[in-house]
Amino acid sequence: MKLVRDVLDKKLCDREGCPMGRVSGLVMHVGEHSQPRVTHIQIGGTTLWMRIHPALAKLADTLSGVWGPKRKAPIRIPWSRVESVGRDIKLDVDAKETGAIDWEVWLAKHIIERIPGAGSEEEKKK
Amino acid sequence: MKKILELALGLITSVGGFLEIGSVTTAMQAGASFGYQLLWAILLGTVCLVFLVEMSGRLSAVSKHTIVDATRERFGFPFFFFVAVAMTIVSFLVLVAELGGIGLSLQVLTGIGFPWWAVFVSVAVWLLMWKGSFSLIENGASLLGLVTLSFVVAAVKMHPDWGSVAHGLLPTLASDNKAKYGFVAVSILGASISPYLMYFYSSGTIEDKWDESYIPMNRIIAGVGMSFGGILSMAVLVAAVLALQPRGIDVQKFEQAALLMTPALPKWGFVLFAFAMLFACLGAALEISLSIAYFFAQGFGWSWSEDLSPSKDARFCFVYTLIILLAAIPLVFGVDPIKVTTMSMALTAATLPLPIVPFLFLMNDPIYLGEHRNGWFSNSVVTIIILISFVLAIISIPLQIVGG
Amino acid sequence: MQLKALLAIPVLFLWACKQPTPAEQLDSALSWLATAGMAGDAWLRHTTPDRYTRETLELSRKTLEQIRGDLLKAPPSKVDAASLDGALTRSRRRIAQMAKLVEAKDSPAFATQLDSLRSDEKIVKQLDDSANAGQ
Repeated sequence: MKLVRDVLDKKLCDREGCPMGRVSGLVMHVGEHSQPRVTHIQIGGTTLWMRIHPALAKLADTLSGVWGPKRKAPIRIPWSRVESVGRDIKLDVDAKETGAIDWEVWLAKHIIERIPGAGSEEEKKK
Repeated sequence: MKKILELALGLITSVGGFLEIGSVTTAMQAGASFGYQLLWAILLGTVCLVFLVEMSGRLSAVSKHTIVDATRERFGFPFFFFVAVAMTIVSFLVLVAELGGIGLSLQVLTGIGFPWWAVFVSVAVWLLMWKGSFSLIENGASLLGLVTLSFVVAAVKMHPDWGSVAHGLLPTLASDNKAKYGFVAVSILGASISPYLMYFYSSGTIEDKWDESYIPMNRIIAGVGMSFGGILSMAVLVAAVLALQPRGIDVQKFEQAALLMTPALPKWGFVLFAFAMLFACLGAALEISLSIAYFFAQGFGWSWSEDLSPSKDARFCFVYTLIILLAAIPLVFGVDPIKVTTMSMALTAATLPLPIVPFLFLMNDPIYLGEHRNGWFSNSVVTIIILISFVLAIISIPLQIVGG
Repeated sequence: MQLKALLAIPVLFLWACKQPTPAEQLDSALSWLATAGMAGDAWLRHTTPDRYTRETLELSRKTLEQIRGDLLKAPPSKVDAASLDGALTRSRRRIAQMAKLVEAKDSPAFATQLDSLRSDEKIVKQLDDSANAGQ
């Protein structure tokens, strides 16, 4: 498996098949005596903007402090939770619990559901 | 049989993406200023589109991934980000122009100025997306779009000189006013080869749940759908040659365009033009707003579908809600949609390589397409289209300055 | 680098909104005279609504007025500025008159004005032709 080709930027789905963003970065463990290995997948936010320019990452960081769901730590999913890597990456997690869809939930709750005819995000589990 | 009904996707993509305020006004400008001479530009644009749309459909049907998904996955986030910035700016301008086109159609019908319509129009378009399903938008817009066939009726009724029409299909250089000729040619190509159209079609094949069995049908739909748009654009050009050129009218405002069909169809020409533009721009406005939302949702891996209730793809809905409300603002202040159109077409041309270049790589990727990869023929065509897109990108801005 | 290039595009566009040349202005004047004529014609044949006709005539009048002002400041070379100005002023008044006649639904008087507008258009056309021939 080639990490950049097969993992980076791939779409992530949780165990219910719910989309939970794309792989924005990988966390590697480089031990002195062992082979380097991937320990975590990072999702969203700062990691992503860092790939273009640190200034953008800073801006994104500042903005997320003003508005939206407030989350400081980046989202990391342990590699052990990766179920399969195909055209998409399947994870054995619940999207909501990881925080990867905080924005989705926040927008649904604070804006979208306040507009008539939007339905309710809660019935998702059906 | 069901697959034949899917032609609707091709038709709406074509009516909404091809025949819209941009291609209508440029086709009219071309006809009014240069006679049949620029028909070749529409033909070239149509041929490019048939191929690009077919490829977008094939990629999505086989891989269940859209062009945007694949662009992000294969080219990485930084490249995707540049495409996103360019796409957002250009599409926003086109959306303003289309909403303005709906407003202008209502203006010539009712006499109430388009700025008064702006908010109403954008809320109406938004409501269609908010409440409507993908198939409602697809079938409704393509059915309404059939009114645009009146352009063909008008053009044929004025008895064009078919020899000159055929001659116009071959590229020639202008004898005088070269800068304007070049500018109009670039605008026609910019109006035809719109990236949002491919993104829309590509997402539509996923919304309609196509699979590999649709590959032959996809070919027909892309061919028929895009040719439909091309023929309509050519009809507009031909009608302009016969109705406007002898009188010396150069189309700068929508009010002038509205007279296009009155000589050919005295009784209904005026109303038909207004409704044709209304529905064509409506289709385009829906298509562009959805494309922008699809683009972001797919690029960032959010959940998206026009068929989900809004709370289940909140970010997707938020994007189109926001963009459509923002697009109403310049119109409320009376910014002329025709001017926005001219600018947006040159900008489309200037940024064209960004969405087109990935095609060459994606369409040859075995991971996405397996045995359905491009053959040498399709690859040669894509290469030629890419070359054209670079030429357009380089000459569009200088031409806008000299000839616009 | 690429980001900067993208930002430069709008700036270029602003620069692109340059003033048209006098010759282009003259073409534009002719186009608007023809527009008023075609709109008038269409109205006489009952093919367009009154409100649209009035608005379009108004738009032609306003645009012609603006073009006349510009041409007065910078007249095209080899054109008799006085007769051009005269023709444009006359046609502007006629178009205003036509707009009023639409309201009154007075077709015969409208037709007369339209005919005179056509002859003014011819004068401007001749001036334009002579300017082009002189080049």
